[in-house]
Amino acid sequence: MILPIARKEFLDAWRDGRFRWAAAIMVALLGVALLLAWQQGQRTRAERTAAATLERENWLNQGEKNSHSAGHYGVYVFKPAAPFAVFDRGLEPFVGTTVFLEAHRQNQAAFLPAQDATAMRRFGELTAATGLQLLAPLLIVLLTFGALAGERERGTLRQVLSLGVRPRDLVLGKALGLGGALLALLLPVAVIGAVALGKLPGADAAGGWLRSAWLGGAYALYLAAILAACLAVSAIASTARAALAILLVCWAANAILAPRLASDLVQRVLPTPKLAEFETAMNKAVQEGMDGHNPRNERLQEFAQQTLKKHGKTRIEELPFNFNGLVMLESERMAGEVFDHHFGKFWNRLEAQDRAVTWTGLAAPLLALRSASMALAGTDFTQHRHFAVAAEQHRRDYVRVLNEDMMNSPPGHHGGVVGRELWEKLPAFRYDPPPPAHSVRAAMPGLMVLLLWVAGAWAALLLVAPKLKPN
Amino acid sequence: MLETLQLTKKFNGHVAVNQLDLRVAPGEIFALLGPNGAGKTTTINCFLGFLAPDSGEARVNGKSVAADPLAARRQIAYIPEQVVLYPRFTGVENLDYFSTLAGRRHTQEELLALLKKAGLPNEAAERRVGTYSKGMRQKVGIALALATEAKALLLDEPTSGLDPAASHEFSVLLRKLAGDGVAVLMATHDLFRAREDATRVGILVHGRLAVEYAASEIKNVDLEKLYLKHLSA
Repeated sequence: MILPIARKEFLDAWRDGRFRWAAAIMVALLGVALLLAWQQGQRTRAERTAAATLERENWLNQGEKNSHSAGHYGVYVFKPAAPFAVFDRGLEPFVGTTVFLEAHRQNQAAFLPAQDATAMRRFGELTAATGLQLLAPLLIVLLTFGALAGERERGTLRQVLSLGVRPRDLVLGKALGLGGALLALLLPVAVIGAVALGKLPGADAAGGWLRSAWLGGAYALYLAAILAACLAVSAIASTARAALAILLVCWAANAILAPRLASDLVQRVLPTPKLAEFETAMNKAVQEGMDGHNPRNERLQEFAQQTLKKHGKTRIEELPFNFNGLVMLESERMAGEVFDHHFGKFWNRLEAQDRAVTWTGLAAPLLALRSASMALAGTDFTQHRHFAVAAEQHRRDYVRVLNEDMMNSPPGHHGGVVGRELWEKLPAFRYDPPPPAHSVRAAMPGLMVLLLWVAGAWAALLLVAPKLKPN
Repeated sequence: MLETLQLTKKFNGHVAVNQLDLRVAPGEIFALLGPNGAGKTTTINCFLGFLAPDSGEARVNGKSVAADPLAARRQIAYIPEQVVLYPRFTGVENLDYFSTLAGRRHTQEELLALLKKAGLPNEAAERRVGTYSKGMRQKVGIALALATEAKALLLDEPTSGLDPAASHEFSVLLRKLAGDGVAVLMATHDLFRAREDATRVGILVHGRLAVEYAASEIKNVDLEKLYLKHLSA
């Protein structure tokens, strides 16, 4: 009995001019969003590759100087654009794209794409992900609000039930048919999108098909939950108009209100320090030690004594290497501990905030989907952190090479003058994004919340189905 | 056979149907007359299992509706005052859908033949029903009763709003169905059609069957006068 109902619903939806128009608009918007993002992705990728090449040239051609000056000359590294940012930009516009690597400091990524945006960004950004997150539920609302309430109002529900149809079969048939109509609309877009994404440079390495499949699954869960919830509302609403009003309020709460409320709430419960406070605390810890009672100068004096003792010397000048280089290495090690502690704590807090927002998805599924979607697209905070850690590791490696060179150079304040031969010893920054398994792990809480939504919404639908009565 | 035994249904203390005993045998057309709120539609809803009686029971072919409403519905064809169809489907597609839901599969030719038998020509049957008149929609309802080979037919104000010609066509079909052994219960305000078509007529007042006449008893009387007399009693 379910299949004939599903078939009828499918045909009815496709014959409905309103659905066709809404579907055409949505598909056009998704297509335009993908195309624009694809073009922007190509441009960004080309810009960052060109900038990285130029930066390497600058580094190699910086001329002769002592290695410590080269440490302060520094180098910029660029975050490669995640291929799936074309689908879901996630946090990309709000986290930096470039890190300046220099001696003594761990800098945060700078140059946020959002800084370059016009005031129009306040109205949000159209990506394929936001289209699916916001417009597809709206289409489901338009498709389902009258599915049961409208039939009750028109009187067809009475006729259908009078034929001995089980209400549960009717509801499941409708869900299957309307879900099928939506699938027939979105599947071609999804396949074309996945193929286009698969052709982007770096998509293979990023596990293109695997990510596409997981993203498809996450969005299928989200839309399946919304479909069932909408049908449940349509089943209990007294009129189609009442069902539409309820569903639009729910849509607005999920799409507009919940993200703002959740981020405000989470910032209140798990606050992050202001940037100035964060940097002041970190600089203080570098100078005074993590506990604030172990000044850097004293620690370095103690280090000098230990070094002299270890080498059986009484004066720095007697050491068989440039002691300044060793001091630089040691102070970098000490600063590294402080950076790891402070950045680690800060990033852990940001990840805790993200996790909390994901779990508030129990109240609004969009929050869970957003979290899963950006994780699977490789544009969430965990992946930004992965990049920042890789950049910092590169900084430490390159500063270490420079400091070792200083240490092995003739004694003097900052070692001897060196040139291109040393600069070439330092490899260009090469970033390997985390594998898809990392993304899937990061997406798991969001996917779990979505699964709970699917289970809850379908249980609610099956619970109200037997109570389905005509007017 | 359609039967009620001491059927009682109350809404918030108001008695809509009061210890109603009714029996419609196969081949009979029972016209249930009564003013608005007399309990006609409530009685039909009890037969369809949409309402559970407070006491007594409704039976279809001897089986209690309350015990198995789905089984009861599968033996009934129901034609409401307004047969509502899916406007984006043709007449034949509507009939196909409804008869499939009733568990009867028919070929396209069979469906067209059923619609034709109900008075709907092929040209109209293959048109979307958005343009159908009420009479045409009622014919699809009759075709559905034919398609499902229902043992009982429940009609709720079936001729209300039909023009005389459509009303006549409808009653011809109704009599044909009764002639095939279908038990027909027709709730109506149409005294003319009741006298023309019914084998028995009952007048429902305040949920009670005030009086019941055989067709022969009302052949030569003014049914309207009789009806009003029972209402004012």
